[in-house]
Amino acid sequence: MASIHTERETLAYGGASAGLSSRWAVARSTLALAFRSIIVFVTVFFLATLLTFALQGLSGLSPAHLQLSESATPEAIAALEHEWGLDLPLWQQYLNWFGGIVQGDLGRSWYNGADISLLLTSRAAISLSIAGLALLIGVTLGAVLGITAAKFQTTWIDRAITTFTTFVSVLPPFVVGIGLVAIFAVWLNWFPSAGYVPLDRGGLGPWLSHIWLPSLALSMEAVADIARQLRVGLIQASRENYVTGALVRGLSSERIFWGHVLRNGSGPALTMLGMKFPNLIGGAVVTEAVFGLAGYGRFAADSASRGDVPAVQGVLVLAIVLVVAFNLLVNLLLVRLSPASARGI
Amino acid sequence: MLRGIWQLPAGKLSVLFLSVIILLAIFGPALAPYDPLVGTDHVLAHPSAQHWLGTDYLGRDVLSRILAGSTISVLGSVQVAVIALFVGAIPGILSVYLGRTFEWLTLRLVDTLIALPFLVFAVAVTALLGNGIPQAMLVVGVMVSPAFYRVARAAALTISRSQYVEAAILSGASIGWIVRKHVWAKILPAIAITLANTMGTGFVVVSSLTFLGIGVQPPAPTWGGVLASDLGYLNFRPYAPLFTTVLIVLTVLAFNLLADVIRDVSGESGRALLIRREKKRGRTARQTSATIPPTPHGDPQ
Repeated sequence: MASIHTERETLAYGGASAGLSSRWAVARSTLALAFRSIIVFVTVFFLATLLTFALQGLSGLSPAHLQLSESATPEAIAALEHEWGLDLPLWQQYLNWFGGIVQGDLGRSWYNGADISLLLTSRAAISLSIAGLALLIGVTLGAVLGITAAKFQTTWIDRAITTFTTFVSVLPPFVVGIGLVAIFAVWLNWFPSAGYVPLDRGGLGPWLSHIWLPSLALSMEAVADIARQLRVGLIQASRENYVTGALVRGLSSERIFWGHVLRNGSGPALTMLGMKFPNLIGGAVVTEAVFGLAGYGRFAADSASRGDVPAVQGVLVLAIVLVVAFNLLVNLLLVRLSPASARGI
Repeated sequence: MLRGIWQLPAGKLSVLFLSVIILLAIFGPALAPYDPLVGTDHVLAHPSAQHWLGTDYLGRDVLSRILAGSTISVLGSVQVAVIALFVGAIPGILSVYLGRTFEWLTLRLVDTLIALPFLVFAVAVTALLGNGIPQAMLVVGVMVSPAFYRVARAAALTISRSQYVEAAILSGASIGWIVRKHVWAKILPAIAITLANTMGTGFVVVSSLTFLGIGVQPPAPTWGGVLASDLGYLNFRPYAPLFTTVLIVLTVLAFNLLADVIRDVSGESGRALLIRREKKRGRTARQTSATIPPTPHGDPQ
């Protein structure tokens, strides 16, 4: 317990020096805030899994649709449903399923009885490679564009970047993807247009060349959003009184920008990143289709068409876990950057 | 407000373009020069006098398929927006009046809907529920409804706590007058902006779903479907995706532009209006436009 306390403390207060008692007060309030935000996230996670679980009842599907013929007797259907535990009360089914999730067990597929966690692992590796690289591109390119636009505000550089981000933000990912395939794969032939090579089989080069275009297509929305929010946030922060104060104290403009303005102005961009993360995870379905990849989006679509409910639920739960975890991370980062933002939770 | 939209060049442009698109959605199938479902021997032909946009891999006329497919693609986004309006706005208004339990519950539900990875959910749920257009519209409509929930709730909150409404009641105004004068003026622009934005989002999502073949059965023509079949034959017709992508991008742009114009005209956030005024005043004034705080939570999507 003590280690957690010190961790939260440094998390909340950074390297700043302060009296011991006030440090404790800050640590306590931060802990309370962290607790409150965790309650929000737990509720969201719980409701999302409940919605996912409800899909089984809403769809009205059962393993009998997949495994038995049209002429199956009611006894055979009942026996099969008993085998899958579908004759239990709903709350018990939910508890069993939820208990499995907590232990990383997503159940077995109705289609072939395989362990869904195993089926998902290799496919998730593809999707998460793409989403991860897209996140990286989004943050880096978005930050570079946003900072450049803010530093050269009101010049043609700023206007060019703003025009670019406005245009890119309305482009659907699959349109960007098709454009990239047409230009870089079919016309210039620089990158492969489809397929995937795992990192441990082909090494870094082939892996990157296969996921580069899909990631770029997926990242465009994030790039535009982060660049725009960062630009506005930075310009706003640069007008605060503490910047004038720092100038008067004789700090160099570079130091003010990197030390004060960037730290205080990046909040909106970070918030936006947290809000857009579900799109990165969810957009994988479309980019995978454009680039012919067998990721979890494809797995979800295929399983759903077959009526394999547990497999679909497995994908959705994985996506939910990723989104909730990422947003928790963003929130902690926001609190670390400017403790005042925690009040908004 | 309507006249205001028409007076701005951007408003005129977006309204005109969207009218064309909606006319296309209604009359498109009748205008198609060929049967969009019947293939010919003329496979993967380049654009010509007979086939203005060429033919696809089954020899079907691409122009006919785009025209016939416009109904689902365009009216789908309208349906999504209307469903989202009802699913979102009603609980949004009720959340102010029905007590704290309901408020807390709907707020958490909205949090959850926003946190869900949108497209994976839309694809999976539509396919599980029977893979039809109505299912797809319903699922997407529910998933984009938080935008309306927030708008309606914010409007209801301001009205229920505003003193001018209280003052109007005390001075003997009728409920109808208050609704016309205060409530409507407050809600309508916000709803209109969200509606235009949601149609843009819905349009992208419907295109994405049809591109994946979700929500429609294969031979039925859609813009997304045309795009998907073009994608497999880029080596033969590398320019082919251009037709549908340009249509899709222009439509989305028009919806977003319309939302911005409504925001300008109604002075809803004041942001866009201020920027435009300052542009006229010259370069130095442009800096101030950045001081208006960003609204990451206010923007739907």
